[in-house]
Amino acid sequence: MSTMEERIRDAAREYLEQEKVTCVIGYERSARGVVRPAFIYEADDVERLIWGEDCNLDLVTYLHNFKHPPGRGVPIPKVAVVVRPCDARALNLLLYEQQIQRENVKVIGLTCAGTTIRGEPRTACQFCSERVPVVYDVLIEADGEIDVPAVQDEYADVQEMDDWTPAERLSYWAREFDRCIRCYACRQACPGCYCYECVAEQVEPHWSSIALELPEKHFFHVMRAFHLAGRCVECDACEAVCPMDIPLSKLNRKLAKEVEALFGYRTGDDPETAPPLATFDPQEQLRM
Amino acid sequence: MKKLTQEQLNGWLDSLAQEQTLIAPVNLEDKLLYREVSGSQGIAWGFEQTDMSPKTWLFPATEPILKIVQGETVAVEPVDAPAPKVVFGVRPCDARGALAIDALFLDKDPMDGQYARHREATTLIGLACPQMWESCFCTVLGGAPNSTEGLDILLTEVDGGYAIQAVSEKGKALAAGMPGDDEDLTLPEPVLKEGLPALRSTDEWKEKFGEQFWSRVSDRCLGCRACTFVCPTCRCFDVRDEVVKRRPGEQVFERLRAWDACTVSAYRRIAGGHNPRPTQHMRLRNRFYCKFMYYPEDFNALGCVGCGRCIDACPVGIDILEVVAAVDEMVT
Repeated sequence: MSTMEERIRDAAREYLEQEKVTCVIGYERSARGVVRPAFIYEADDVERLIWGEDCNLDLVTYLHNFKHPPGRGVPIPKVAVVVRPCDARALNLLLYEQQIQRENVKVIGLTCAGTTIRGEPRTACQFCSERVPVVYDVLIEADGEIDVPAVQDEYADVQEMDDWTPAERLSYWAREFDRCIRCYACRQACPGCYCYECVAEQVEPHWSSIALELPEKHFFHVMRAFHLAGRCVECDACEAVCPMDIPLSKLNRKLAKEVEALFGYRTGDDPETAPPLATFDPQEQLRM
Repeated sequence: MKKLTQEQLNGWLDSLAQEQTLIAPVNLEDKLLYREVSGSQGIAWGFEQTDMSPKTWLFPATEPILKIVQGETVAVEPVDAPAPKVVFGVRPCDARGALAIDALFLDKDPMDGQYARHREATTLIGLACPQMWESCFCTVLGGAPNSTEGLDILLTEVDGGYAIQAVSEKGKALAAGMPGDDEDLTLPEPVLKEGLPALRSTDEWKEKFGEQFWSRVSDRCLGCRACTFVCPTCRCFDVRDEVVKRRPGEQVFERLRAWDACTVSAYRRIAGGHNPRPTQHMRLRNRFYCKFMYYPEDFNALGCVGCGRCIDACPVGIDILEVVAAVDEMVT
């Protein structure tokens, strides 16, 4: 029986050899042992691909780099991407938002038992019961059954914040955002953050100062969380890439909880259903 | 050489903090950052490499550089001069990083007045590294874990305390007030790393500009600003006049300067929307070429001091030492 890693490599090799794609986006390990995205252009290089519980980036983000023709008269490149179940939801989001075309992407789906950030099981995974991606072309299954945790309250981690007073919340986030350096790694790693010009950087109108200080950092994170309400797939890539270890999943999951409670909606179930905040339905009944 | 004990150093720092702003590495949720402390107590003693360099205390991440009052006439007012401050626990690589920033702001005309005032107001007390840490490589750039270059005072941990080396005139004046006793001391030799790549010449870098390697290494680049913000030598900034007060007949603006980064797409965008570095690979390549070719050639200064922070901070594992090694290999 081959390992998951070997089967990922086999799938990648096949796509490249049969020229179905020009590039396979997967994970590799640097010489220092750091997991990082790998871009494989030659079948001979597929041995670089790896899979492990520390593979915590959302590679769907990189599809934005392949959505435009690289030059005049050149077709949009076809690529393959390795996805976990949460990443597959991001793919559906981008399909709904017409950022990518399904026929240009080959999806190597992995069954997933959860990943880690800085050695700790990541928050969303502890409440996630999804084992198979909602979209894939080839499915790479883990050996044996993957346990699904018995979860009573899917947003138990957010409850604590719900119990705080507004002043307590403000002081908690002020303390966390104090470390923020406004590097935008969270935004750049997010498959749902792809505006050509971010509100945080817009010059006309000038929404936010260029200052790297607490009010701007606070504005940036809260604005980003709201723009992702009903669009966040809880892949936690933002938290994984944060050089200051800011617990961004807490912020995103708070909004995911609200959206699910109000609209009964979870991001990325399919590529057709509109995220609730992207539509206006006068007849809509909120579940309040 | 004069030596002081940890207790003497603590006491001296405690009283120093009464007179001047004292900046030192502190531990905030396991992140080591240079912040203001009220004495020796808040300092993250025993730290290895900090997550951020002390750069922001010489070249603030955000700073008003002018105040503009627009009423019936326009008045331009200077900002307050920075208060005297001591940055304690500066690693030797970061002091060389400050010299690199000096090359842009001080060593060429016109001098940057605000930076000069910060430099003048700041004393750097270094703490020698007993060894090279996990990600750093100062020796590749001609530095050393115990280098005094760019520091005012260097402290080296020895048995029972710290050896004091006063380096600059400013350092000598401050060190004169430090407690301690003269002793016959031999400073310990730091443990160096073996097998590091060699940094190639700017001419050799120039030859490799067109290599496909640059697009491959930047495939994974997210285009964030983490590497440049943690860097002790990156000194690019954005300037904008921002309204701070508006009332009938009067508007008050601040001319703000804030760090910027060549790795983001908006950095090079110009009026009309044209971007001379339209792809991420051009932008990331620029970061490396700035460090190892343009800045050394144009300013006769290092663009990298080998602190290794960008290696740790990069969310997608882009490794500057791997890049240095790859260029070394391409040339060979």
